[in-house]
Amino acid sequence: MDCKEVSETLFLFFDNEMEEELLAPFRDHVGTCGDCARKVDYTRKLLWIVRERTYRCSAPDRLRHRILISFEHRRFAGPH
Amino acid sequence: MPKGVSMPKESVDHQKGWNFEAAAMPFVDALYNTAYRMTRNAEDAEDLVQETYLKAYRYYDKFEEGTNFKAWLFKIMKNTFINNYRKKQQAPTLSDFAEIEESFENQVSEDAAKPTKNPEEELLENVLDEDVQRALDKLPPDYRMVVLLADLEGFSYKEIAEILDVPVGTVMSRLYRGRRLLEAAMLEFARDHGYLREGDEPAKMRSRSAK
Repeated sequence: MDCKEVSETLFLFFDNEMEEELLAPFRDHVGTCGDCARKVDYTRKLLWIVRERTYRCSAPDRLRHRILISFEHRRFAGPH
Repeated sequence: MPKGVSMPKESVDHQKGWNFEAAAMPFVDALYNTAYRMTRNAEDAEDLVQETYLKAYRYYDKFEEGTNFKAWLFKIMKNTFINNYRKKQQAPTLSDFAEIEESFENQVSEDAAKPTKNPEEELLENVLDEDVQRALDKLPPDYRMVVLLADLEGFSYKEIAEILDVPVGTVMSRLYRGRRLLEAAMLEFARDHGYLREGDEPAKMRSRSAK
């Protein structure tokens, strides 16, 4: 694998979507190429920020109530 | 239950209701978070999630056992979102997208021309939590949706393709562009903090020497 191929498959690698047989060549190249090792490190940080530092909103209680009440209603009234 | 013996309809509905509730309620936070980020409005997000649950309940018989239930719920929400969104005519026009694509292409070719030493690594350290939110909000809806499904909900490319009714290749290219746009926006915000920090320097030095 060369630098260009590493660039193209970086996200596949971090998304666990890389084909099995490409994993070893990917790791081999990154292990011997400083530029690519930096790119891998940078991408890991970037994805960590997006995945772990994005605030996740919880559903408000009133929404849970609304949904549960609609189920109750359907259970007792039957389908419409 | 033996074949040919049917439960009274009322109790079938009753059982269906309980099964559905137990299976579906654990995903209410995930659905709401995605709904909120797509509609950017709490009231619309609540309506969208409620409608999703009502539709999912109605079509629960059509859900194939053994397939991904969470992905099935997200698919219903995506369809509902698109219908409501189109109705409200808030969707960006195709030309808006073309413009974004074009500016993105320019950005990519500029990036390729840059020397290898990159200040991005340092800038990434300056990204604040609120920058991540703002950058995500700024993403065009198609890209935002793919990033939310992949990075916040952890769906596979194949699952995202099924939720969005697009080929896996489209998921990959939207995810690539979406993340790069997100990165560019976050770095831009971080750069702004950098300038602010430089401007603050004399004040900081004063307070330090006053101690």
